[in-house]
Amino acid sequence: MNRQQIKVVVLSVLSTVLKCEVNNEASRENLAQWDSLKHIEVIFAIEDELNLQFPEEMLPNLNSVESIVDAAEGLYEA
Amino acid sequence: MRHKIIIEGFAYRLRPIGDMDADFIIKLRTDAELIRFLHSTPPSLDSQLNWLAQYYTRPGDWYFVLERRSDSSSEGLISLYDFDAEQFSAEWGRWILRKDSIAAVESAWLIYRCAFDQLCLREVYCRTVAANESVVSFHDSCGITERSLLPNHFNLNGRKLDAVEHRVNHVAWKTIAPRLEHLSQRMARRLHRDT
Repeated sequence: MNRQQIKVVVLSVLSTVLKCEVNNEASRENLAQWDSLKHIEVIFAIEDELNLQFPEEMLPNLNSVESIVDAAEGLYEA
Repeated sequence: MRHKIIIEGFAYRLRPIGDMDADFIIKLRTDAELIRFLHSTPPSLDSQLNWLAQYYTRPGDWYFVLERRSDSSSEGLISLYDFDAEQFSAEWGRWILRKDSIAAVESAWLIYRCAFDQLCLREVYCRTVAANESVVSFHDSCGITERSLLPNHFNLNGRKLDAVEHRVNHVAWKTIAPRLEHLSQRMARRLHRDT
């Protein structure tokens, strides 16, 4: 799966879980509804969709569309 | 007050706070980012120990450290306080977690379990600074539907701030608990796999 395909999945999951439109710049800082509970739901849903698992130490840092896409791409390349 | 309540969860537990936690409390409660919406805490160990000494004598106040079950490392702080014996209710708060913590959901689940299963309260409420939107959203995401705005409720370092109050009674808890439990359990499975 390439970066663009990963980004499509990440944006789709975020929109579904957060129940709002999400763009490339979305982050936990600028989207209040991306709270600690939704964050866990987002991460689990992305892992299910992309069939991967983020290491625990990554979880607190997956705070934006960009950081999630970077992390997922890194796992695919590893 | 001094208590002996321990609430075991999937990946974390609540245990009574003690003098040995004073450094940890200071570390969390003097972090500018973490205390943006909390009362400030004096940074000295003596002040913290004095505060704890007063807490030990205060009835209706249960202060906990949230720690990992796997290695007993401290991850955060959380309390139930202002117990009302007539209403059999209390407020939960003093909630603060390490910046790298992913224990928010399980810590909330544990404090509700303490309130309803251990202390058998009829109702608990949590008051959040209204501007702290992500925490207000967290309580909404838990499925709590009883919420109200308390104008100028907080006085934080001279600033009057509105609060959003979320209330959960023992009936609502039955509908909220399964989701918090499920997410806590799934996260714990992840943590166990990683260790």
